[in-house]
Amino acid sequence: MSKQWSGVNRRELIGGAVAFGLTAPLMVYARTQKRQKAQVVIVGGGYGGVTTAKYLKKENPNLDVVLIEERPFFMSCPMSNHFLTGLMELTPLCFSYNVLEVKHGIRVLNDKVLGVELDKKVVRTSSGYIAYDYLVLSPGIDYDVEDKPFYKESLVYNPPAFKPGSEHIYLKRLIEDFEGGDIVITVPPPPYRCPPAPYERAALIASMIKKNNLKAHIYFIDANERPIINSEGFLSAYYDLYKDIATYITSAQVRDIDVHKRVVKTSHGDFKYDLANIIPPMKASGLLEDAGLLRKGQKWVEVNPLTFESSVKNVFVIGDACQSYLPKSGYAAHSEGKMVAKIINARIKGKEVKEEYLQMICYAMVSDKEAIMTETAFRYDTVSKRFVPTHREDNQRKESTAKRYEEWARGLWRDLFG
Amino acid sequence: MDRRDFIKTCGTVAVVSMLNRDFFSQALAQQKDGMFQAYKKALLVKQDGSPLKEEDIKPHVNYIFFYPHTATPCYLLNLGESIPPAEIKLKDGKSYKWGGGVGSKKSIVAYSAICAHQWSYPTPQYSFINYYPPDTPSETTKKAGIIQCCAHLALYDPKAGGSVIDGPAEFPLASIVLQEEGGNFYAVGVLGKDQFQQFFDNYRTELRQQYGSTAKARELVDKCIVMEVDKYVQAVVRC
Repeated sequence: MSKQWSGVNRRELIGGAVAFGLTAPLMVYARTQKRQKAQVVIVGGGYGGVTTAKYLKKENPNLDVVLIEERPFFMSCPMSNHFLTGLMELTPLCFSYNVLEVKHGIRVLNDKVLGVELDKKVVRTSSGYIAYDYLVLSPGIDYDVEDKPFYKESLVYNPPAFKPGSEHIYLKRLIEDFEGGDIVITVPPPPYRCPPAPYERAALIASMIKKNNLKAHIYFIDANERPIINSEGFLSAYYDLYKDIATYITSAQVRDIDVHKRVVKTSHGDFKYDLANIIPPMKASGLLEDAGLLRKGQKWVEVNPLTFESSVKNVFVIGDACQSYLPKSGYAAHSEGKMVAKIINARIKGKEVKEEYLQMICYAMVSDKEAIMTETAFRYDTVSKRFVPTHREDNQRKESTAKRYEEWARGLWRDLFG
Repeated sequence: MDRRDFIKTCGTVAVVSMLNRDFFSQALAQQKDGMFQAYKKALLVKQDGSPLKEEDIKPHVNYIFFYPHTATPCYLLNLGESIPPAEIKLKDGKSYKWGGGVGSKKSIVAYSAICAHQWSYPTPQYSFINYYPPDTPSETTKKAGIIQCCAHLALYDPKAGGSVIDGPAEFPLASIVLQEEGGNFYAVGVLGKDQFQQFFDNYRTELRQQYGSTAKARELVDKCIVMEVDKYVQAVVRC
C-alpha cells in the first residue's frame, strides 16, 4: 500500500524532523517556528473522523487538519446489509478520501498509525511522527476475541462484516454461494457496533431465502433477551414473515465454535451450519489501549459526555471507541464529530460552546422492501446536568420508511463527501 | 463596504426598488450581510401558462415551482392567515429580516425546498421534505403546520421565515422573495442562506440525467410553472 503525505512538502517534513531532533529514516511533520496555526490530527477515517475533519475546515478554512486513515477508500458500514443481500451494489457505499483534500484542504495521510505518544503530543505512523495541538481519535472497534480463541479462529472462516471492507466482500460471496441448508447468525451482548445491524441482517437474509425459494433454515442466536432496539418491529417481522424459515433463540451464549465441523455450541444447544455469520463481542481499537487511554479491563474509553474529551486535555475520543450515552453507530459518530469540531474551533478562538443538540436516527430493513426506524433526540439539561433523551420508534414496517432509509444514508454521504 | 460590494448592492437595489419602495431599505440592509440575493424577476404561472392569481393558491396545499434556477425547487404555500414579518436568527449570531406573507391577506409564502440539513429535495420520484397542513400532523413528530424532512427529521416553520423548529438543520430554509404586482406574483430573489452550491455539487449525475447538463439545470428562469407537489412527485413520502 502506498503511503501518501498529502499536502506536506519535503521542506516541511525535513524541517519537522530537525525540529524534533530525530534522524533519518523517520519522517516528521511537526510544528515548526514558521507555522503559527494550530494543528489538529484526526486518527481514523470513518464517519466520526471524516465529519470532524470536514466540519473543522468548514468553520475555519485556515486550520491545519490532518486525517490519518490506513484504508485508501472509505466504505460505509451503514447500508452494507443492503450490499450483502443484493439490494445494493458496493459502488454507492465507497468514496475517495481525495475529495476531502481537493475540496476542503484536509491533509489526508494514507498510513497506519502505530502509536500515540500523549506526553510528546505526537502520533507515530509507519512513515514518521506527526505533532498535534488537538488530537481526535476515532479508530473504531476491534473484535474482543483474545480470551475466546474460538471466536478468533471463526473470524477467518466466518467474516463478521462489522468492519468495512474485505469482510463484507467475502461474506457477500459466501451468501451468494449458499445453495441451501442451515444458517447460523449470532448476536453478541451489547455494547457493539450498530445495535440494529444484526437484527436487520437476519431479516434480510431470511427475506432473500424466501425470495429465492431456497431450502434453508436460519438459527438466529441472540445473547440478549430481545432485539435491543425496535424490538416490537423486529419480532413482528420474524414471527409474521419468517416464522417458517427462521428460529429466533434468545438469551443464548456462544460457548464454542468448531469451524471444521461447522458447529456453534451455545447455552441453548449445538447448531450445525452450512453458512455462519458469527458476530463476536467488540471493544475499542487496540490503539487506545496502547496509548494508555484504556485502563486494564476497560473495553471502551471514558470521555466527558459534554465534550468527548478523554482524561487528557485536548485529546478527544469519538465514534464507536468511546463510552458515552450515545449508541455505537455511524450516525452517532457523525454527530459527535460535528460537536468536537465545534469545540476545537471554539477553543482555538478562546470561546465556549453553549448550545448542544444531538440526534440519533436508525433505520433497519425487515424485508427487502420494508423498514422500521427509531429516533432519539438528546438535549442538555443545564439543571440536571445531563442529556435528556426523547425516544420515538416507528415499528410499523413500511416501504416509505425503506425509501427514507436510503435517503438518510445518501444525505450522510453527501454531508461527508459532497 | 468595498467598491465591489457597493456595485453589487446598487444592482440588487435597483432591481428590487423598481418593484417595491419599502423593499429598498430592507434589501440594502440585508445585502450588507449577503443575506439577500436578487435574481431574474420571474412570473409565477399556472400549468396552462396563464399568470397565477391569488385565488389559484388554495390554503394549505403544497405547491412546487422552480426558482431561481431551472432545477432548484421551491414550495409555495397559502397559510390561510396573515403572516407578519419576522427577524430570522441564525446560530452563528447573525440575523436577517424576513418580510412575511404576500397577497391580499399576507398569507402567501415561498421557500426553497432544498433541505438546509443534507439537501434532500423533491424529485419527480420522491419528496422527503414536505409541508404538513394544520389538520395533518406528522406521525413521527406530531407537529402540524410545518415543513418537515423525513430523512433526518429537520423541522421548519413556514410562518416564521422557514426557521428551524427542531431537528438537525443548522440553517432555516432560504425564503423566496415574492412580489405582487397587478394581481400577478413574481419571484425576485432569495433571502437567507441558500444551499444552491451544495445542491449543484451533490446532484451532478442526477441533474445531468434530468436536464441534459448541469449548465441547463443552472439556467436562471424568468417564468415559474406552479403545480401541486403530488402532481410533480410520484411518491410524496410523509412520516
